[in-house]
Amino acid sequence: MVIFKAVSKHYNGHIAVKNLNLNVKEGEFVTLIGPSGCGKTTTLKMVNRLVEPTEGDILINGRNIRDTDPVALRRQIGYVIQQIGLFPHMTVEENITVVPTLLEWPATKRRARGHELLDMAGMDPVIYANRYPSELSGGQQQRIGVLRALAADPPLILMDEPFGALDPISREVLQDELKSLQKRLHKTIIFVTHDMDEALKLADRVVVMREGEVIQEATPEELLRKPADDFVASFVGKSRRNDSKLLIVEQVMQPNPVTVLPSVGLAQCLTLMKRKRVDTVLVVDEEGVLIGGVSIETLDREHQRAYRIGEIADHNLVTVLNSTPAKDAFDLMVGDQLKYLPVVDEHRHLRGLVTRTSMVNAMASVVWGDEND
Amino acid sequence: MKMISFSQFLFMNSTAIITATVQHLYLALGSELIGCLIAIPLGIWLTSRKKLADYFLAVTGTIQTIPSLALLGFVLPLFGIGPLPAMIVLVLYSLLPILRNTYTGITGVNPSYIEAGTGAGMNSRQLLWMVKLPLALPIIMAGIRISTVYLISWATLAAFIGAGGLGDLIITGIQTADANFIIAGTIPTAFLAIGAGWMLGKVEMVLTPREGLIVSDEGR
Ligand SMILES: Nc1ncnc2c1ncn2[C@@H]1O[C@H](COP(=O)(O)OP(=O)(O)OP(=O)(O)O)[C@@H](O)[C@H]1O
Ligand SMILES: [Mg+2]
Repeated sequence: MVIFKAVSKHYNGHIAVKNLNLNVKEGEFVTLIGPSGCGKTTTLKMVNRLVEPTEGDILINGRNIRDTDPVALRRQIGYVIQQIGLFPHMTVEENITVVPTLLEWPATKRRARGHELLDMAGMDPVIYANRYPSELSGGQQQRIGVLRALAADPPLILMDEPFGALDPISREVLQDELKSLQKRLHKTIIFVTHDMDEALKLADRVVVMREGEVIQEATPEELLRKPADDFVASFVGKSRRNDSKLLIVEQVMQPNPVTVLPSVGLAQCLTLMKRKRVDTVLVVDEEGVLIGGVSIETLDREHQRAYRIGEIADHNLVTVLNSTPAKDAFDLMVGDQLKYLPVVDEHRHLRGLVTRTSMVNAMASVVWGDEND
Repeated sequence: MKMISFSQFLFMNSTAIITATVQHLYLALGSELIGCLIAIPLGIWLTSRKKLADYFLAVTGTIQTIPSLALLGFVLPLFGIGPLPAMIVLVLYSLLPILRNTYTGITGVNPSYIEAGTGAGMNSRQLLWMVKLPLALPIIMAGIRISTVYLISWATLAAFIGAGGLGDLIITGIQTADANFIIAGTIPTAFLAIGAGWMLGKVEMVLTPREGLIVSDEGR
């Protein structure tokens, strides 16, 4: 549907896009990805002639776009710009129906279309149609930006980081919506992002760019399995690190749980627990090998009978290996209703402790990204 | 001559004051209107001609610095006395604020809106009417407000070349050393200026588009 033939773009000497060859098929979802300044936006804008290529040709449905009227061309291509760019002086409905207005659709048809699209995005037209963009949340604005591109039902849609400024949760939601919408309406979409997770999730084909050149062009699976070079590998790897499926217990556990030796007295242990504000301690020997655990309930129950912690420790603790996938550990905790899960290595040395808090933290870092990242 | 009280004065001269006020408004607002009709299209036209725009802004800026009495002196030999030369002077003064604000208002529109409009398939005329002008309107209106307030007070000078208006009352007052006349000319002028400024300020507020949460507009 869209064919780039040896397309280059120079900005007075600086090469923004270099000898780009790409064939986007009808109904395909292609993502362009690469570091900032690698020429993604430039590539996209050449398709609707907001930027003219210095060399090469772009064909849409076999027709060289140089031979088309740019204004007419743009009305047939949906475009979501990098900064959303909703018009602040127009209502939501007016914003959505800009292209139908330019195409001189009758007012009733325009209105119906605006409402239909709002419904489709789960935004009640009665509430939202007459609002102004400033009265919408960031996520809603981005939805409207996408709806505006869909309004005249163009077969081809260009999207430039449409979910860029969003928190990861809204972003996920919008990605899911977009993907199902694209499947349903059978649109051809060229989608720019610099987020590999987003690219892999949405794309039928990912085009990785660097300094104006295509480094690799592959399906998400191929990209993950066979990155073309170290650059792509690091790019893919960086985004994979945050994936909850690949986290191991070692990365999510608390590394320094409260421990006692079996020879410690009950009263002394109680003081320690009070000071550390914990309701459970792990019992380890001098070598650091896990022997068992003692909870505050056991302590309370047994304090008449016993003197040393070793006598009352529970030796049948459920434990996990430090290399276990975090997800399995979490499933185990949830399934068996465990309050905590000691982490040990092959020699049963205690490595740490997984609690429900560490589970929440780990999930949060996946959802919101790691602060130290 | 015995001084009469101000209320007696008002009663005796009410027709003269009202006539002068109406004349004054005609002079000021008429000039303002003509000024808008010249400066707004000119400002729009200049937005795509940067070099020329700098030149025009410099020229209108220079006009602004010529003392008004001197400017009246220039037009007097050319156009004689009466409302016409007075209005010419006032129009010249109105140009700069309107021209400058139209130009900066439009060139200051956030490029992302221009790109969104162009990308949606607007031609340059549609881009002007649907995007640039509405977004620049508050700034253009501010220019109109400022120049209107100026013109209302400067229109008093028109009386020097026989154009009438509230300036007439002031000049009469000065010549006859009658404070009542001066006050009767000054107070309405002040009220007209303040009132016009206030009203146009309201219009400006209504026209100001609400800014998006994410898309902030650095243009103003
Ligand atoms: N109008 C322009 N004039 C000069 N140079 C430009 C222009 N537009 C883009 N460039 C340059 O071309 C290169 C590619 O820019 P482009 O906007 O395509 O990058 P990008 O991949 O979209 O980056 P980002 O992820 O930051 O949006 C950059 O080095 C940029 O500075
Ligand atoms: Mg970009």
